[in-house]
Amino acid sequence: MSSDMKFDQGLTLPEILSGNDLKIMLLPEKVRYSLRIKPSDIAAVNKASGLKLPRKIGGSNLGKDQFVMCLGPDEWFVVANVDARDRLEKIFAKLEKSFTLSITDVSHRNICFGLMGADAVKAVNIGCPLDLSLEHFPVGKVTRTVFESAPIILTRTGEDNFGIECWRSFAPYIRGFFERYATDKAAA
Amino acid sequence: MFLIHCPHCQEDRPEIEFAYAGEAHIVRPGPEQQDAMSDAEWSEFMFIRDNVRGEHCERWWHANGCNMFFNAVRNTVSDKFIKTYKIGHKRPSASQIQKWKDAANG
Repeated sequence: MSSDMKFDQGLTLPEILSGNDLKIMLLPEKVRYSLRIKPSDIAAVNKASGLKLPRKIGGSNLGKDQFVMCLGPDEWFVVANVDARDRLEKIFAKLEKSFTLSITDVSHRNICFGLMGADAVKAVNIGCPLDLSLEHFPVGKVTRTVFESAPIILTRTGEDNFGIECWRSFAPYIRGFFERYATDKAAA
Repeated sequence: MFLIHCPHCQEDRPEIEFAYAGEAHIVRPGPEQQDAMSDAEWSEFMFIRDNVRGEHCERWWHANGCNMFFNAVRNTVSDKFIKTYKIGHKRPSASQIQKWKDAANG
């Protein structure tokens, strides 16, 4: 697939809420890969690929054009810019030759909402019961969890900067939730 | 909010992320053993559980988290989790459970 592909993200609204203290938007399309690797192989995989996969569950590494995260003891998730696709595919093809692992392209499966601003923690906490204090959920932490009962991957890329990565089938539901939140916020 | 400690994530996580997965430490018979089992023995393995009132060893699944199964000792009366531990550890003895309870209480 060429690098100028356009995903049908299932949604067209780029911006859901735009205020001084909170901005919620649908982030641009990315390529995404789900990686299942034996934990014992991870040092060798990192050496061979240069992917910098974190070893700790919940850890992440934000690079120039890619974001790698560790979701479970043997599960990693890679989100990258569309033009990094060819580079990643080459790396994965090389890895598949020397390791027993599973790499699945899930680019079309997921979409990501971005939440920015001083009220971002409050907005995430409405649908997600995790403790988002910096002590328990520092910048760079990621985790699979639930948002209004929909399975998501929550990422924190800044103190007031969150990503809610969900399956695109859940996207209209979560967008609707944020739209209602925006209406309530405007009325309050 | 009800928190469960996940031994893989090594942190307390909300109960909504977890799913119950039945009694722990039940060994599934191998294919040859299965052939040798009578119907009564098979139905016992499939359906008969201890249904403990009190401390119960059970499996839990961190479905919306690290996606791993682990074991827990939970009091079925008070619904209090005494300890969670990774699969592969032996079934804790009564004295071990008592030790965990004492440690939790103070």
